Amino acid sequence: MNEETARQVIETAQRQGRSALSEYEAKQVLAAYGIPVTREVLVTGRGALAPALAQIGFPLVMKGCSPDIAHKTEKNLVRVDVRSEAEANQAFDDIAAAMNGSGGVLVQEMISGRRELVMGLTRDPQFGACVMFGLGGIFTEILKDISFRKAPLEKRDALEMMSDIKGHKILQAVRGMPAADRDRLAHMLIAIGQIGLALPAIAEIDLNPVILSGDRPVAVDALIVLGCGLRHNSTR
Amino acid sequence: MKRGAMTAVQTAIATDYERIFGPKKIAIVGVSTEGAGFGSGIFYALRAIGYSGEIFLVNPKGGTLQGEKIYTSVDEIPGTFDLAIIAVAARAVPSVLEACLRKGAAGAEIISSGFKELGTAEGIDLEDKIVRIAARGIRVIGPNCFGIYCPQSGLTVLPGPDLSRDSGPVGFSSQSGGMAVDFANTGKSIGLTFSKVISFGNGADLRETELLRYFGDDPQTGIVTMYIEGIQDGDDFFCALRSTARKKPVIVFKGGLSDAGARAVSSHTASMGGSRMIWQAIVRQANAIQVYDMSEMAQTALAFAMLPQHPCRQISVLGGGGALGVAAADAAESFGLQIPAFAPELAQQIDALLPKPGSSPGNPVDVANPFVLPEVLKKVLYLAAEDARIDLQIFVSLLSHYKNLAVKNGCALAQVMPYRELADDFKEVMRQTGKPVVIVLPNPRRGLDHLDVVAALTEARQVFIENGIAVFDDLTECLRAIGHVNAYYGGRAHE
Repeated sequence: MNEETARQVIETAQRQGRSALSEYEAKQVLAAYGIPVTREVLVTGRGALAPALAQIGFPLVMKGCSPDIAHKTEKNLVRVDVRSEAEANQAFDDIAAAMNGSGGVLVQEMISGRRELVMGLTRDPQFGACVMFGLGGIFTEILKDISFRKAPLEKRDALEMMSDIKGHKILQAVRGMPAADRDRLAHMLIAIGQIGLALPAIAEIDLNPVILSGDRPVAVDALIVLGCGLRHNSTR
Repeated sequence: MKRGAMTAVQTAIATDYERIFGPKKIAIVGVSTEGAGFGSGIFYALRAIGYSGEIFLVNPKGGTLQGEKIYTSVDEIPGTFDLAIIAVAARAVPSVLEACLRKGAAGAEIISSGFKELGTAEGIDLEDKIVRIAARGIRVIGPNCFGIYCPQSGLTVLPGPDLSRDSGPVGFSSQSGGMAVDFANTGKSIGLTFSKVISFGNGADLRETELLRYFGDDPQTGIVTMYIEGIQDGDDFFCALRSTARKKPVIVFKGGLSDAGARAVSSHTASMGGSRMIWQAIVRQANAIQVYDMSEMAQTALAFAMLPQHPCRQISVLGGGGALGVAAADAAESFGLQIPAFAPELAQQIDALLPKPGSSPGNPVDVANPFVLPEVLKKVLYLAAEDARIDLQIFVSLLSHYKNLAVKNGCALAQVMPYRELADDFKEVMRQTGKPVVIVLPNPRRGLDHLDVVAALTEARQVFIENGIAVFDDLTECLRAIGHVNAYYGGRAHE
């Protein structure tokens, strides 16, 4: 764990007066706390694209990356299953044009898996940092099948929140897919709680989706919102 | 840090809870000789419930009330006293509290309102004064509260002259005074007995978290219940909740839950983390039990008071009533209970005892006829208990149907309704089998022409409770309460 990396990323964003980290930056913070994230390269100029493609390998995902755009899919800034250099060049140009030259393009390994989960952090006005777990992707908003725990989380808390959700069977072995690695999931939830306690500048976190690639969870998209950095006010 | 500072003040002055909850001498400050004031109201209530300690009355005008001398000031009271009950106008409260502190009282209930709850600068200022005086060595309950009910010492809340003097395991702290009185009365009606009920109102000094810790340590309290609206310190409350729930069941009724949406947030996580979700998480994480209304709180406390201290997940359901089998199965599943079907041989033995047609011997066992004799029901319960999987038996009683029998025979309901036999028989079954029996006593007959049914079933409930048999009005509520007990002891086993 390299907390210093995480702090530097946040301080840079704060110096620039930003209220959110880019996806690329958010994943650096998460990775610093041992949370598995996608392998990815941030490409800011067309010339750097080819080496990035070589590093990540096809098929891959390309995304517009800027701290200003939280919900990328709605803005048509994501290309999945990019399979050739020609496709990648076209995607880069389209995304760059759509972003009006701000930010960069994230070249990211494509994680395949049909089970999507969500994890996150919120700061409750009374109880402070609280970690969320639930069904991810589009089901997050539709089903709201989620559970919370106050940080710090013990392993038991993390395991309990997985069995608390109605759709907990998604973590079992289903339809030829292996049972999810609950230890690894628990480690991720505990780490999110640690981030919440260690980095008061962070107001909110979304890891959505966290995709189960086989039994292994990987954070595929991430949002970190910065706050004023004050501790929670416990008097209401 | 605020919390550190508070703790320092509190540890500097040890709280003498003995003197507060079991006062030998009480001063009631603010009794009026005319009309129905709060001060004289609490005096009458203490007399009516049979408080046997010494009571000093105070009013600047002096005089007497019910033959009792009224002192003109707190300072005039000879010697010291343990607890002050203050019912003077808000503006006069700080100087009265100051006088009580000088006199060496351990605590003061401030019944008066007109403080922070008004939101006015004057109200807030007066409450701050109370906080500062309290910090110098007198614990304050209130202001804007109904006080303390403690059946053992005979202390009672303002509108509580008629509460029970039977002590029991339930401790209750409540931000709402009305809730404190209602819960104490509900307890009296359903067979729930209390160690202490504390209405703490604005909670200027003693409030939810400290009272939670007190109940956790109090040997007279076996079950902690609480009604809260706002809390002062989330982290401290959570720690107290978790450590108390490790010792005894804690039932939390949180009023004023909201879904998120009010706050401006950007992430899904924050938008879904409203107080409803977060409170659910906090209570579950601490292995406490969350309830959503006062009835559920009462039923749950009753289950904790009367059932064994371990999970009872597999149950038998026997008796009758509308769609018994389906209703039981539906409800059981949602509360994590199972009603396993009996083996064919056992079902056959049970079937041989039941009237025909209309009965069904599986599990649930529908006895079909409300007039099946208690001795037959006893045999059925014995047989059902032979299934080794069964942890607990629920009997859904059809006693209200005896009204028709009484009318037909032209006699009083009490003469035909066999609840005493049932109580004796079920008690014996419990003792012999080691498996608890719980009674559900629904009463669809509550009209003016059925007041005798209401009376008889009230009597029946009391007899069952006296025999150690928990009684609920409704099967779903009963299963929900058992589900809570299971969740608590199941959660504790994992610690």
